[in-house]
Amino acid sequence: MILFPAIDLKEGLAVRLQQGDMARATVFHRDPAAQAEAFELQGFKHLHVVDLDGAFAGKPMNVTAVERILETVGLCVQLGGGIRDMATVAGWLEKGVNRVIIGTAAVRNPALVKEAARTFPKRVAVGLDARDGKVAVQGWAETSELSALEIARRVEDAGVAAIIYTDVTRDGMLKGLNLDATIALAEAISIPVIASGGLASIDDIKALLEPRARKLEGAIAGRALYDGRLDASEALKLIRDARAAV
Amino acid sequence: MSVAIVDYGSGNLHSAAKAFERAARESGHEQLIVVTSEPEKVASSERVVLPGVGAFADCRRGLDEIPGMIDALEESVRKGAKPFFGICVGMQLMAERGREYQVTPGLGWIAGEVDRITPTDPNLKIPHMGWNTLNLLKTHPLLEDIPLGPDGLHAYFVHSFELKPAQRSDLVAQADYGGPLTAIVGRDNMVGTQFHPEKSQRLGLKLIANFLKWAP
Repeated sequence: MILFPAIDLKEGLAVRLQQGDMARATVFHRDPAAQAEAFELQGFKHLHVVDLDGAFAGKPMNVTAVERILETVGLCVQLGGGIRDMATVAGWLEKGVNRVIIGTAAVRNPALVKEAARTFPKRVAVGLDARDGKVAVQGWAETSELSALEIARRVEDAGVAAIIYTDVTRDGMLKGLNLDATIALAEAISIPVIASGGLASIDDIKALLEPRARKLEGAIAGRALYDGRLDASEALKLIRDARAAV
Repeated sequence: MSVAIVDYGSGNLHSAAKAFERAARESGHEQLIVVTSEPEKVASSERVVLPGVGAFADCRRGLDEIPGMIDALEESVRKGAKPFFGICVGMQLMAERGREYQVTPGLGWIAGEVDRITPTDPNLKIPHMGWNTLNLLKTHPLLEDIPLGPDGLHAYFVHSFELKPAQRSDLVAQADYGGPLTAIVGRDNMVGTQFHPEKSQRLGLKLIANFLKWAP
């Protein structure tokens, strides 16, 4: 189980939103690279970064902030937001992003996911953000008619490294992960799934370590890490012990 | 003359190496900074730096997994009395043991234990993350010409645990975070900081420069 601390970028700052609403942004750090470094110093090995402005604009918008994060830390960085063509995929991977996350384009242009995953094996993930079972796109401002499972199936053979499944209604609300839906998706496909949205406390970490969640690759933690509800050292310790016990 | 920064899989040492290189260059105490996982290079260096991030038990395991590294450290620091600088968990490892969820033996160079920080104000978040001034308890050559106290320079902390020395004489400086926190420990040729000198700008660079000329 990998725990990914999250940094969402809006106008160069590290923010957290509630339910993806840009009007409900809380600034948690003015210097995203320093936040990334703080996560590294706490013992995390991975980082989940979202270019929020990029997700809305359909192209990278927080390039400088992402580059500074990449220069500052040695974490495995996965990045999403505004990645809609091969040039952008290749550009980020060359700059040191470990894994790009394709969201909107996975719904609207599955051919891109296939091409990217074939060109860059193990370095392309798909972000599926579900609202009431249907996948939201364009920074979650729009909802498609497709379910997460339908889209996941379409890209299943392409060699996608992971699916990051976010319950939009829970994101930033600290109500707990929607594990049932995430596990159902993970059981239905062969691609590893990462749970996202709502992770609130150490109880979510414990639930992720139960046998029924074994198909999940990990989970993303946002607000709970920033406001101290989730103690990083305690969470990492539980995960480490679970790994050692296997 | 060389300074060995011990690389034992505990995080990104890039910024630590950069800070030591910069301090060496700017202070005129030019020395070769070597990031190494080889015990031989630690043994042949004049000064030793042990960084460390994350969990106490992981860092201890990282040291144990390099054959000969603990011996090289013991030989250099304890027998050879080379100037030693522990940073964050690298400093905590100097203690007899860590109580980070489980009990893990430390190097036992400073009597005391590593335990969870307990700010008296429940609104203070853990990890303690941010900038604090330092309160001096004991003069130390590494703090020469560094403004301390409430109006002094700031040090950058990220931690949930602290080293609690058994002997007050090993405590050099504290920071305040809902009560006093161990910021610097020192004994003989060994010094350790809970904060990150490599992130602490002016205070950090001066501290490193003082370390590079320190002759305990």
